[in-house]
Amino acid sequence: MTDVSRRQLLVGGAGLAAVGGLAAACGSSSSSPSTGAATGASGAPKRGGNFRLGVTGGGSKDIMDGQNIITKPDQARLVSAFETLLLFDENYQLTENGLAQSVTQDSPTQYTIRLRQGIEFQNGKTLTADDVIYSFQRIGTKAYGLTGYAATATMDIAAMKKLDQYTVRLPLKTPDSTVPQTLGSYTFNMVPTGYKAYPAPQVGTGAYKLKSFTPGQQSVHERNPNYWRTGQPYFDTVTITDFSDATAQSNALLGGQIDAMTDVAPSQVKVLQAQNVGVLVSKTGGWIPICMAIDIPPFDDARVRQAMRLIVDRKGLLEQVFSGYGFIGNDLYAPFDPGYNHSLPQREQDIAQAKSLLKAAGKANLAVDLHTTNGASGMVETATVFANQASAAGVKINVINDPNFYGTQYLKLAFSVDFWGTRAYLNQVQQGSLPTSPYNETHWPPKSGTGSNFESLYNQALAETNPATRVQIMHEMQSAEYEVGGYIIPCFGGLIDGYSTKVKGLKPSKGTLNLDSFGHGYRTIWFG
Amino acid sequence: MSRFRPRGVWGFILRRLLLGIVVLILVSILVFLATQALPGDPALAILGRSATPQSLAALRRQLHLDQPVFTQYWTWVTGLLRGNLGRSLEAQEPISTLLSPKLVNSAVLVALAAILSIPLSIAIGAWAALKREKVFDQASSNLLLLLAALPEFVVALVLVILFATTVSHVLPAISTIPPGSRPWNNWVALVLPTLTLVIAVVPYVSRIMRASMIEVLESDYVEMARLKGLPERTVLIRHALPNALGPVFQVIALNLAYLAGGIIVIEFVFNYSGIGGAIREAVVNHDLPVIQALAMLIAAVYVILNLLADVATILVTPKLRTRL
Repeated sequence: MTDVSRRQLLVGGAGLAAVGGLAAACGSSSSSPSTGAATGASGAPKRGGNFRLGVTGGGSKDIMDGQNIITKPDQARLVSAFETLLLFDENYQLTENGLAQSVTQDSPTQYTIRLRQGIEFQNGKTLTADDVIYSFQRIGTKAYGLTGYAATATMDIAAMKKLDQYTVRLPLKTPDSTVPQTLGSYTFNMVPTGYKAYPAPQVGTGAYKLKSFTPGQQSVHERNPNYWRTGQPYFDTVTITDFSDATAQSNALLGGQIDAMTDVAPSQVKVLQAQNVGVLVSKTGGWIPICMAIDIPPFDDARVRQAMRLIVDRKGLLEQVFSGYGFIGNDLYAPFDPGYNHSLPQREQDIAQAKSLLKAAGKANLAVDLHTTNGASGMVETATVFANQASAAGVKINVINDPNFYGTQYLKLAFSVDFWGTRAYLNQVQQGSLPTSPYNETHWPPKSGTGSNFESLYNQALAETNPATRVQIMHEMQSAEYEVGGYIIPCFGGLIDGYSTKVKGLKPSKGTLNLDSFGHGYRTIWFG
Repeated sequence: MSRFRPRGVWGFILRRLLLGIVVLILVSILVFLATQALPGDPALAILGRSATPQSLAALRRQLHLDQPVFTQYWTWVTGLLRGNLGRSLEAQEPISTLLSPKLVNSAVLVALAAILSIPLSIAIGAWAALKREKVFDQASSNLLLLLAALPEFVVALVLVILFATTVSHVLPAISTIPPGSRPWNNWVALVLPTLTLVIAVVPYVSRIMRASMIEVLESDYVEMARLKGLPERTVLIRHALPNALGPVFQVIALNLAYLAGGIIVIEFVFNYSGIGGAIREAVVNHDLPVIQALAMLIAAVYVILNLLADVATILVTPKLRTRL
C-alpha cells in the first residue's frame, strides 16, 4: 500500500512533490523488451469515449486544488484541469510548451514570463498577467500550505509586475537559476484571479472541466470544448475512481471496468501481459536512499560511509526489490538533470575493501539499527536486502520497521531508509542537502573538509546564468557528495502502470507522475 | 427478588434490552478509554510531525481534550444519544454524512447475503440430516467443509477469475458504487460480493442445522409423533424443524454480526464502499471520532442481532418458552 498522503505532508513544501516512484519499480528495456514501447503507433487520434482510470492511495482526505495535492488521486485529478507555465517532456527536459511562450532570465535576480496569447480558462475568461500574479501570490502565501510554497522562497512575489496584458516580470530576492524547473513542476499551476479550492468551482486552462467529485470515491471530468491546443483532448469524459486495493484495481482492468490503472506490482507485470493488458514501464528518477547522518557515530567517520557504499550489490538489490525494473545508481540523485555528473566511476560492490575500511576506522564488527517504514513500496525491502548484503562484510544491521518513522525522530536518525521523487539536481539539493533544507536526512554538508564549500557552490550555481558554467559547479558539488556524502543510492525505481490495449498514445515518461503524466492531463491519449 | 422479574416473552425481551443497554454503556466506556483517555496526548498522536502549537491547541479543543476526562466522556456519550456522532478530522464533515451512504451499502450487502444464505443453509442442513450418510449428505458435507476452510478473499478472487476476468466476462470484477448512486441501481455488480458472503456463511450454518436436526430426529417426541401415525411431513415441519432451529439462530446471529464488521476484505476485493473500508481508513488516519462512532455502531449491531437471535430461539422452542 502506498501512502502518498503521509509522505506528501512531509514533503509538502516541495516544488516538485516527492511522490513519484511509489510503485518503486521501473523498466529496463533489456529485461523486458515488450514493455516500455509507446502505445500510439496505430493511426490518427480519434474522438470520443469515457476514459476510466483507477488510482490507489486516496481516501476521504482527497482534495481538488489547482496548486496542491495530498493523495495520489489528487495528482490524477489536478492534471485534468490545470496547467503550468513550462512543461517537462517525457525525458524530463524542460520545454516552452506550456502556458508561457517563453520564460527568460534577464539577470540572476529577474525573470520575464511571456504568456501565450488567446488561452482561455474553462469559463471563457482569457488567461492574462493578472491571473499569473494571483497564482504566484496564492502559492506564496504560507498560510495556505500549498505544495509549491517552499520553492517560492527566492521569489519577490510582492514586487511582481504586469508589463502588459501577457507579460509579467518576476524579480527574485536572491539569485535562483532553478525558477524554470519550479515553473514546470506539476503543482505550480496557473489559476484565475480569485480562485479557491473545491468545493468552489474549479476553473483552469486544462483539457477537462470538473463535473462531479466525491473525495475517496470518484470524480467525473468533462471535455473542455474550448481547449487551446487544437484537436485535443479526445475523450468526452474522464472518470477517476479511488481504489483501496491493488488487486481490485487489476481485476477491474482485466474485467474491463476501468481502462487504466496506476502502480502495478512488479510481480504482476507478467500476469497482466499474459491477459492482453498493456503494461507501461516508465524509468523515473524516483529513489529510495539509505541515509547515513554524517555527524552521528558511526557515520561521522567518512571511512565507515565509504565502506557502507561498497557493501551494496546494486544489481542484486535492483533485482530483489524492484524485480529488475529500474536502473542502478551511483550514490547521486537527479540522474536526468543535464548537470548530472556521468564522469564519476560507477561504484561496485567490494566487500574486501569495505572490511579493511571498517577495520581502519575501528568498526570491524559494526552493529547498527536501520530505521524505515512502509511509506513507499520498496523502502522496507531495500532495508532488508541491504542488511543481508551487509552481513557478508561482518556488519550486523538490525532493520526497524517503525510505523511512526515520520514522527519526532525523523531526520534525527543516524541510519534510515527514506524515499524521494524525480527532481532536477539543484531543486533536490534545496529540498534535502542543505542546512536549510526541510528534509535533510544525512545532515549534509560537512562543516570541514571535502564538501564544506557545498552551500556556497550551491549559491554560486543559483546565481550563475551561463548553463555550461552552472553544470561545472554542479559537477563539483556532486563530486563531493560522491566522495564523502551520506546517501547510498543503490538504484532508481520507477513507475509501472497498466492500461487496456484500446488506449493509444501512452509513452514511458521519466517524470514524477504515473501513466505518462496521466496521458499529459488526458489530452495526448485516445481510444483506438 | 423474583417477584419483580417481568415475566413472559415481553418480560424476557425487556430484560434483554436492558442488558443490551448495559453492555453498550460498558462498551462506550471501553472505547472511550482505549481511544481518547489513554495516557499520552491523542492530539499529538494524530498530528504527528505536522504538529504546531496552534494546531495542537485547536485539535485539543475540537476533541474536548482541554476538559476533565469525565466531562469529555459525558459530552461524547450525550452527543451519541442525540445522534450527533461528531465530525471527522480527515474529511472535515459530520460523521453521519460521511458514514450514512457507506452504512446503507454495507447493510444492503449483509441483508442480501442473509436473505439468500439463511433459507439455503437451513434447507441444505435439514435435507442432509434426513438423508444422513447418503450421497447428498456426504457430497454436501465435504463440499461445505472445503468452502469453510477457504478464506473469503480466496473465494472472492476465485469467483472473479471465473466470472469476471480470466475465464469469462459475464459479471463485473468490481462493484464500485458511483457517488449519489445506490447499490440496487446496479444489481449486477452485487452478484459476486453477495455470492462470496453466501459462501462464507452457508457452510457454518448448514453444518449446525444438520447436527441439530439429527439430534431432534432421534429425540423421543419425534419418535412419538411418528408412532402416533402423523404424516412424515407434519412430523418434520411441525415437530422437528422448529426445535432444530433454536441453536441455528445463534449461529446465524453470530455470522451476521461478523459480516457487519468483517466484510472489509470483500469491500477491498470488489472496491465496494462500505463501513469496513471506513474503519480501515479511520484507523490509518488516526481519525478518532470516526473510530469511536464505528466501534459503537458495530457493538450495537452485535447486541441487537444477539437479542433477535435469543428472541427467535425462545419463540421456536416451546421448552424454553414455558420456562420464562
